[in-house]
This record gives sequence, structure tokens and C-alpha cells, in this order.
Amino acid sequence: MEKMRTHKMHISTGDFLVKLFAYLFIAFIAVVCLYPLIMVLSVSFSDNLAVTKYGYSALPQAFTLDTYRYLFAHSGMRILRSYIVTIGITVIGTFGSMLVTSMISFAISIKDLKYRNVIAYICNFTIIFSAGLIPWYYVCVNWYHLMDSYVALILPSMFSVWNMFLMRTYFQAVPVSLYESAKLDGASYYQIYFKIALPLSKTALLTVGLMYALCYWNDWWNALMFINDRDKFPLQYFLYNILSNVNAISSGRIPSGAAANIKLPSETVKMAVTVITIGPIIFLYPFIQKYFVDGIMTGAVKE
Amino acid sequence: MKEFRKNRQLYIMCIPALVLLLLFAYIPMAGIWMAFTKYNIKDGIFGSPFVGLQNFKYFFTGSTGMGPKVIYNTLYINFFGLIFGTIVPILIAINFNEVKGKVFKKVTQSAMFFPYFLSWVVVGAIVYAFFSTDTGMINRLLSGTGHDIIRWYAEKKYWKGIIITADIWKWCGYNSIIYMAAMTNFDPSLYEAATVDGASRFQRICYITLPLLKPTVVILSLMSIGRIFFGDFGMIYGIVGNNSLLYDEVAVIDTYVYSAMRSLGFSYTTAIGLFQSVMGLILVSLSNHLAKKVNDGEGLF
Repeated sequence: MEKMRTHKMHISTGDFLVKLFAYLFIAFIAVVCLYPLIMVLSVSFSDNLAVTKYGYSALPQAFTLDTYRYLFAHSGMRILRSYIVTIGITVIGTFGSMLVTSMISFAISIKDLKYRNVIAYICNFTIIFSAGLIPWYYVCVNWYHLMDSYVALILPSMFSVWNMFLMRTYFQAVPVSLYESAKLDGASYYQIYFKIALPLSKTALLTVGLMYALCYWNDWWNALMFINDRDKFPLQYFLYNILSNVNAISSGRIPSGAAANIKLPSETVKMAVTVITIGPIIFLYPFIQKYFVDGIMTGAVKE
Repeated sequence: MKEFRKNRQLYIMCIPALVLLLLFAYIPMAGIWMAFTKYNIKDGIFGSPFVGLQNFKYFFTGSTGMGPKVIYNTLYINFFGLIFGTIVPILIAINFNEVKGKVFKKVTQSAMFFPYFLSWVVVGAIVYAFFSTDTGMINRLLSGTGHDIIRWYAEKKYWKGIIITADIWKWCGYNSIIYMAAMTNFDPSLYEAATVDGASRFQRICYITLPLLKPTVVILSLMSIGRIFFGDFGMIYGIVGNNSLLYDEVAVIDTYVYSAMRSLGFSYTTAIGLFQSVMGLILVSLSNHLAKKVNDGEGLF
């Protein structure tokens, strides 16, 4: 009897340690993931001289809004322009993507469609094999004339095969009987798509839409490829340009004599631009997070 | 033909997506021909002189040695990214399963998932905040504890590690959700039976959770292996930009193609891209074949 009790005690101590470790580990990872962000935020609200003197830290040093004031006074128009470009391509791109993706996903989710596997294969093949960067760039620039065009920021990323398969999974969850009875009532597929499939998949639409929106918001690759005109820079590419100048000088690649002639944005300005870039994501994050989790889980279960 | 008449509306709904694929995936495939020519603007893609495999030969044996170097860098970064990018998320998922408390779970998961929402440019800014020579946090820590500071952006030997770490940091929350999704499908009666038999928490993790996670791990790894010849352009460029001091160390095939595009011409860089795509095709097909074996006949695609 006595022996059994100690045995039981032993197990629960072990369990307790496992549990304790789990809490510490999760808390540690959470801090590691969040800390850099807090640091960026703090520096953007710090006094530049204090940052130069004491370096980056997690708490604002000599809290001030000067950086933001300076930024809006000196490059307010440029930031505003980039913001409008980014918002524009995000809204138009997401809307277009959703229309294109939901239509094809709906179509290939219908079992009556004889060649739906062929269509799925045509899509799939582009994941398995691609022409590569250069031929893609070549046809975009020389045949489609996308250089310095807003279209270049929208059209190339408008259709994602991954998102199509995710959406098809959602559409397949709609009971077929609903479609069938609508067909018996004489509804066309267009009507079924608009009046039944879309309204019943609101969560799915929001999930996939947010995934597209995040892609457009965070995109700077298309800008790097096609945009030379500063007026057309999206926000991310604007930030990239600020940082890459800084990078070149701190590596010593540009001689310090020359570096003195280039006016560098201060430490706090760099971080403030970063904050401005991710600002909307921070504000929306509490509301949108669960849709992404749902999307990942749905995709993962399918695999 | 009858099929097209019957389901005309459905086929019409597929057209916009298929047109986009045609424009940005299939038509560019015609440009692959450049890989076998010495392209010049005057003669165009199909009129330029045919040179056979010369471009490929230069990539593998050229005097600069850049070809083998970028292949090595790509495989190195992807390999360690795959190993640690699997271990860390699994550790997160398993430990997350052990903690209770709604608020604690919500707050920590939100924190861990957040990096996924940041672009590589923003991650680059964060890396800069840590490693900048004069104001970076790491150098302040070093000098604060009496060590010599390091000019990180001029010392290339650290950067593979920094990039792999940043990669894991950005994706750990996202990937852990995939493993958690798998874990929600595990049969709870297995755990109950094990508890009745006196298995400790640790034993339950080792003998139930981990073996059950194996298929998911295998599938995700196979998917990564299929893309092991593809470097993450955004990651490399977002973090180190075109810093020439670090270039050798972190240039992957994709960034090399981009930077060689103007200096070494379209034909040479198309050939590199084709090599990549063919390796990808082979590895994806192999992975798919293997995936079918471990996954009851269901492949990756």
C-alpha cells in the first residue's frame, strides 16, 4: 500500500515537471516571437539621440512622438502615396482574386463536371513545374509591357492554386442536395454560385480573402521586378529602399567619406516606417487571426 | 462536345483563372528556349543562335565557381531550415497541448503566430535592429558584458545561421498550427487507456503523440524536399538586400539568377532556372511517390 502511494507520487512529480516545462517553453517562444516587435515599436517612439547613445531596447527611451512628426513633415506625401498604392492594389487585387478563385473552385467542386480533374491538373502542373524567373520576367516586360504599370503589382499574383484547392475543400462541404434541388427548380449554375454556394461559404471566403489580402499587402517582389518610378512604390518596397541604403553603409561598402554625403534616415525613422508598414496588421490582427488559423487547419487536414 | 454544352456555365467560370495561368505560367514556358541559345535582342528568343548545353556547362564549371556555391548555399539553408523548422514547431505543438488556461493559450498563440504576418522586408528591419553595428541590441549586449563588438553586416560567416533562425522565427507559429490540427484528430481513447495503464505524461507524449505525428512530419518534409532547390528570394533579399560583402555566403540560386540577369544575360540565367525547375520536377515526383506509400495511396497532389 505504502509502496503504491510513493509510486503514484513519483508519477505526478514527473507530470508536474512536464507541465511546468510546457508552460515555460510556450511562454519563452511567445516572448521570442513578440519581443522584436515590441523593440521596433519602442524605438519608433524613442528620442533618436537616446537610441544612438544607448542602443535598441524594449522600452522607449525618452518617449516622444518627434520621429513620427518629422516623418510626416518631411516625407508625409511620399508615405501617403505609397499607402494609397498599397491599399489600392490590396483592395483591387483581393477582390479580383476572390472572384477568379471562387468561380473556378466552385466549378471544379461540382461532381457533374466531367473534366474537373483535367482542369485541376492544369492548375497543379504550374506548382510542379515552372518556366523560372527569367522567361516569366521576359514575357511580362517584353510581351505584356508591364514595366512601371500598376497592373504588374496586381495581375501576376491574382490566382493562387493553393488557395483554389483550399476553397474547393470549403465548397465541397456544402451539401450537394441543396444544389440539386435548386437545379430542379430551374436555377442555372451562375445562380447556384451566387445565391447558394457563396452565401453558405462566408467564413471560407473571408479566410481565403484575408490570405490574398495579406499577400498583396506584404508584396514587394513584383515592385522590385517591375517598378522603377518612385511614385508607384508600394509601402513594403518603400521600406525596402530605406533599409537597403542603410545596409550598404553599415557594411562599410560605401566609403565613409561618401557615406557622409548621403543623408541617412535616423534609427528611429527606420523603425517608425516599419511600424507604419505593419500598423494596419497590428490593429486588425485580433479580428483576423482566427480566420488564418481556420484556413491553415482546413488545408492541413486535407493533406 | 455534349459535355461542354451541358456544363457551359461551369467551364466559363474556369476561364479567368485559366487565362491567368496561361499568361503567367504557360506562355513563359516558351521562353525556356533561351536556355539553349545565346540570346540577343535583335534576333529575339527564337532567332538567336543555338548553343546546346553551353549555358548549363558554364553554370556548373564556370571559373567564378558561383554555380556550385549557390547550389550549396541553397541546399544548406533549406536543409537546416527543414530540420529545425520541423523540430521547433513540433515542440511548440506538443507543449501547447499540455498547457491549460484559455487566456494563456490565446495570448501565447497570438504572439507565436504574429511573425507569419510580417513581410520579409519587415523581418529585415527587425534583424537590423538586432545586428546593426552601432545601435544593434546584440552589440550593446556584447559591449555591456565586456566583449568586443562585431561588425555583423561585414562578417559573412554568421549569416547562414541568422537567416535560418529568422526563417524558423517567421514560420514556427504557422507550422505549429498544422501539427496542432493533426493532433486534434488523434483518438482520445488512446490517451485514456494509457493513463489507466499508468503511463506518465512524458510517456504518453513519447509513445502516443510522436508516433501519431509521424505521417504529418513525413508529408510536410517531403513537400519541403520537393522544393529544396528553390531558395526563398524574399527572405534573402529582405534580410541582406544586395550587400556585396555577404553576397557569397547567402546567395541562393534564386538571388543569383536575379543579380546575374543583367550582367550575364538572359540565356545563362534561364538555363539556371531550368535546372532548378527540372530538379524540382524530379524531386516532387519522387516525393509524391513516397508520400503515397506512407499515406495510404494519397499523394501530395
